[in-house]
Amino acid sequence: MQTIRLKLKEEVMSGNARIPVEVDSLTPDKLVGKNEAEIKAVKVWWGNKEENTGELFDVRVEGEAGSAEEVKIVMEGDLSRVKHIGDGMKAGEIEAIGDVDMHCGAMMTGGKITVKGNADCWAGREMKGGELIIEGDAGANLCAMYRGEMTGMTGGKVTVGGNAGECAGQYMAGGEILIKGNAELLAGLNMHGGKITIEGDAVMPGADMTSGEIAVKGKVQDMMPSFKFAEAATIEGEEYKKYIGDLAMTEKKAKGVLYVK
Amino acid sequence: MEITDVVCALCGCVCDDLVVEVEDNEVKKVKKGACSVGKSKLMGHGRIKSPAIRENGSLKECSYDDAIKKAAGILAAARRPLLYGWSSTVCEADKVGIELAEEIGAVIDNTASVCHGPSVLAIQDVGLPSCTLGEVKNRADLVIYWGANPTDAHANHMKRYSYISKGYWTAEGKKDKKLIVVDVRETKTAKVADVFIRIEQGKDFLVFSALRALLLGYEDVVPEEVGGVSKKDLLEAVRLMKEAKFGITFFGMGVTQSTGRHNNIVNAIQMTRAAHTHTKFSIMPMRGHYNVNGFNQVCTWETGYPFSVDLSRGYAWYNPGETSSTDLLVRRECDAALFIATDPGAHFPGESIRHLAKIPVIQIDPFANPTTEFADVVIPAAISGIESEGNVYRMDNIPIRLRKVVDTEYLPDEEILEKILEEVRAIREKEGE
Amino acid sequence: MAEGELLIKNGVVYDPINGVNGEKKDICIRDGKVVEEVKNPKVIDAGGRVVMPGGVDIHSHIAGGKVNSGRLFRPEDGRRGLEAKTKVCRMQSGYSVPNTFATGYRYAKMGYTFVMEAAMPPLAARHTHEEIVDIPILDNAALPLIDNNWMTLDYVKSGDIDLLTAYIAWIIKATKGYGVKIVNPGGTEAWAWGKNCDLNDTVPYFDVTPAEIVKSLGEANEKFEMPHSIHVHTNMLGHPGNFGVTMATYDLVKGIKPSKDRQVLHATHTQFHSYGGTNWGDFESKADAIADYVNKNEHVTIDIGSIILGDTTTMTADGPMEYSLYQITGRKWTNHDVELETGSGITPFLYSGKSPVNTIQWAIGQELALLVKDPWKVALTTDHPNAGPFIGYPILISMLMSKKRREESAADMHSAIYDRAALPSIDREYDLYEIAIITRGMTAKALGLHEHGKGHLGVGADGDVAIYDMSPEERDAGKIQKAFLNTKYTIKGGEIVVKDGEVVATPAGKTYFVTPECDDTLTEEMLKKLKDKFEHYYSVTFNNYPVQDAYVPNPYEIKAPMRG
Repeated sequence: MQTIRLKLKEEVMSGNARIPVEVDSLTPDKLVGKNEAEIKAVKVWWGNKEENTGELFDVRVEGEAGSAEEVKIVMEGDLSRVKHIGDGMKAGEIEAIGDVDMHCGAMMTGGKITVKGNADCWAGREMKGGELIIEGDAGANLCAMYRGEMTGMTGGKVTVGGNAGECAGQYMAGGEILIKGNAELLAGLNMHGGKITIEGDAVMPGADMTSGEIAVKGKVQDMMPSFKFAEAATIEGEEYKKYIGDLAMTEKKAKGVLYVK
Repeated sequence: MEITDVVCALCGCVCDDLVVEVEDNEVKKVKKGACSVGKSKLMGHGRIKSPAIRENGSLKECSYDDAIKKAAGILAAARRPLLYGWSSTVCEADKVGIELAEEIGAVIDNTASVCHGPSVLAIQDVGLPSCTLGEVKNRADLVIYWGANPTDAHANHMKRYSYISKGYWTAEGKKDKKLIVVDVRETKTAKVADVFIRIEQGKDFLVFSALRALLLGYEDVVPEEVGGVSKKDLLEAVRLMKEAKFGITFFGMGVTQSTGRHNNIVNAIQMTRAAHTHTKFSIMPMRGHYNVNGFNQVCTWETGYPFSVDLSRGYAWYNPGETSSTDLLVRRECDAALFIATDPGAHFPGESIRHLAKIPVIQIDPFANPTTEFADVVIPAAISGIESEGNVYRMDNIPIRLRKVVDTEYLPDEEILEKILEEVRAIREKEGE
Repeated sequence: MAEGELLIKNGVVYDPINGVNGEKKDICIRDGKVVEEVKNPKVIDAGGRVVMPGGVDIHSHIAGGKVNSGRLFRPEDGRRGLEAKTKVCRMQSGYSVPNTFATGYRYAKMGYTFVMEAAMPPLAARHTHEEIVDIPILDNAALPLIDNNWMTLDYVKSGDIDLLTAYIAWIIKATKGYGVKIVNPGGTEAWAWGKNCDLNDTVPYFDVTPAEIVKSLGEANEKFEMPHSIHVHTNMLGHPGNFGVTMATYDLVKGIKPSKDRQVLHATHTQFHSYGGTNWGDFESKADAIADYVNKNEHVTIDIGSIILGDTTTMTADGPMEYSLYQITGRKWTNHDVELETGSGITPFLYSGKSPVNTIQWAIGQELALLVKDPWKVALTTDHPNAGPFIGYPILISMLMSKKRREESAADMHSAIYDRAALPSIDREYDLYEIAIITRGMTAKALGLHEHGKGHLGVGADGDVAIYDMSPEERDAGKIQKAFLNTKYTIKGGEIVVKDGEVVATPAGKTYFVTPECDDTLTEEMLKKLKDKFEHYYSVTFNNYPVQDAYVPNPYEIKAPMRG
């Protein structure tokens, strides 16, 4: 096993402006096989200039790895303006200690990311596989599509310990999302596959869904007026009402399932 | 001297049949065509007199060259500069702005980001079945204003293009038409409507979905009341929509800026698609500034994206919510800003202004406004459409050329930006050596 | 235009307009033009490679309102072609709807130096020109849409061909356009009410038929010495069984004498109009019937509009057609009807080799090119981006040149290709001379641009040259495709703009526009009616309508006198 510790230097975020650092080049699969000096020389974007990782982060490498699976990256410091953590990651592990900025785990295909804090918008965007655990809250567009695309998350598993922002799982086509807290407006919007479980409350869930499944254990505020009640259902011993929708997409397409209490 | 076919550079209506009286190189009178707001703009007010640079807290007048040099220096040194505004100037200036943004790796964004940006996002999800305003004038027998109050915000809109206008199949004007207004309060426009539907704040999305379900024939699933509107009223609206030969929905910021934001518009467009299964139906955003659409057009053909474009990596990254100006400022991401033909000082949230106070700010504008009070470099410009010409895009994508009706010594936006760009390139070349 | 001299030696030249078929030949250029000889030239050694005149695209949608609406509503397409700016090039984006800069660079890399924007709504002509100015390198022109205009419909109805002639002259001048474009005549006006028109249907409220519109515009066009014929997108595009309508449209103008030595009607993206069957279930290729018609007649030329498999963005002034397509896919759909003139629709589409319909469509485009015997009657296009993006041309070239390549591709596609298309049974392979014809010689002639220095390398021609990195003997389809995607050199007006597949210079292109010279009395009479339309029905004024000179900073005017 190898642990790569990347701690954001304080001075990076100490100016008037808090300019984001974009770290899509720092994933286990991209860093595997590099020594400390080589990792320090990997380029990351800081605003409109590319900098060496070593300029912005304190870098420490412990142990050795034969493959990306054996690499664990631990990110520390003020990560609230560090974007694209684990973006495109294929294997291995990333642990981010603290709140992270947007696009964490976007387009990841494998491996595991744990955020010990909140994740800003677009976490797990277009995720294809692997696991993303956000111990705190997730921002808007969790596991959604990129602008204009018709496919969001297609695989993998995402767990949010807290609440999720608007449009969680928009255009989701596969995989699983578990939100332990509440989901804001329009969870599962345009969903056409996969499963979202919301343990808390939700507002207007399932709009325009054509397939897939959403279960809301808490209250639903503003139930969509275009869903059809199908039957009573029991899941894990609890009573739900099962709705089919969204009929606003036409009856032929409305194959989404929404369970509400 | 009387000048005809003058184009109004105020709102997205871009009325082009104004007649103005010019004497001694001054607009004396607007004789025809403009609404009262347009008239007042044409008559001019409160100019910035000279270029100026802030020294020890107060603006000190200087030459154009000095102000441009100072501005270029600020932009060339920035790591995450923001170039914002662009909606009340011409496309020719917008083009130079985009080239400048590309050169310095900036984020470039226009006022769509705080008005009809959500409409653009919605179009990217579902498209936009629409038409030019002349189509509405000649054919529409059903006009819907949703979250829009043209009587106040686009004073000529109903008269020139929609409910009151007379066209080929609508020779009798409003006698041939029905008007539905949907809003959270009874606006002036609502008062003249055949049907006024008052909805609860923030429930537009639900009401659109209900109308879609009804238009598609699923009356049984729709509950008796949705978003404060009775099913009976919804059914009446649906009847009018289905019976129309040509229907049009105009929507305003009442929809784009309320709960649900761009997804409200997605749903409004989805409603239009559902209505189109019965009859001809179109939908159009009521764009605000006269060339807000023009910047979106130019930015799209040059960068691939309409606004909120981050060019820091040399190619475009587009993600409103992340790369939009208010988000950048509230998150304190940018370290320098250029504002052109806009007034964030008056329109942006307080947090943004607090950040702007800490970073260098450049303003290009014919008129002084609250932004002038904290700008570090102020560059006066000619007034587009009065003192300089150029292309603009009406809210329905029709390109119209603004006319120049009087001369000025002030430089047009395009030229100021070209000089800044040239200066930035000179600085970069020097750094390269 | 570059000053100075350039000598391209040791090239194997294919210049069909001058009958040069694979000859080892030097090309001399001075001050941007081909000359007999040069004295102190910069020398390019072509080293036995294939040399052709700069490519001329007869039909492509690269600029204007609907192209930009296509870009705007497809950020997902935008990110499929992102490239950072360089010292020479501006930023690039897009695949099926590339930004203006990428459009210029990518065409130039394929050896093209002229592209015709095929559909310009007159009311939005300023937009088309604004974008064209931002497309680097390429010389260009645009065809205004004239067939659904109320002025046209009125004059067709009253039978006033002379006044119609005055109107088309005025509108071509007012839009700085190149010729007469016809798109679903009558059908687009009908679409303003959500309806469509077949060839002999009556246009709602106007009491004319599409057939009458085509015939009248065909006649009116030939009243001038127009460089190009009418350019026609026939009715019922994309409908199974439409091949009959297509040929009936061709027949309408058969008796009209062209004012110049060229076709009377150019039929565009013919693939979409060569369909048999009665529905998508029994859909089949009728390319053989269309090709047979073209073989037997001299008044029609076609471009193929061949499919490139994959995702693309469809866009046309044919609003009802785009609506039908969107109803099939349920994907995003933009429509934009333009008052008194035209309309447009846009929707994304995926051409899949697994779909029987798409597979047959794919075959049809190539069948047309292979079954029309005389390559001077057929042009290579994809109706960019409708049947696929222009960046797919090299794929098509390799298909036409290699039966083996076609067989390999067909093997991976739906088996319908063997039952309901003719492609697998066609043995013909294009040679490089024929490729040069369908990509520059024929297209330049059909547009009348050969008289203005395009599409050939004779003395006096523009110094536009493509040097492809392949020997004339190359038979490997993959290598052919690669060579046609990125030239060894592209030379534009004597200046090297592409070297080793990289853009090295980005001069501005010229905009070609036609000035039809109409009789003043006729024009005066026509203007009375036109001004009334502006007074009552247009939403802009008469005086603000014509495209101002500022929009065409690099003009090339072609005068078209009345026919003597």
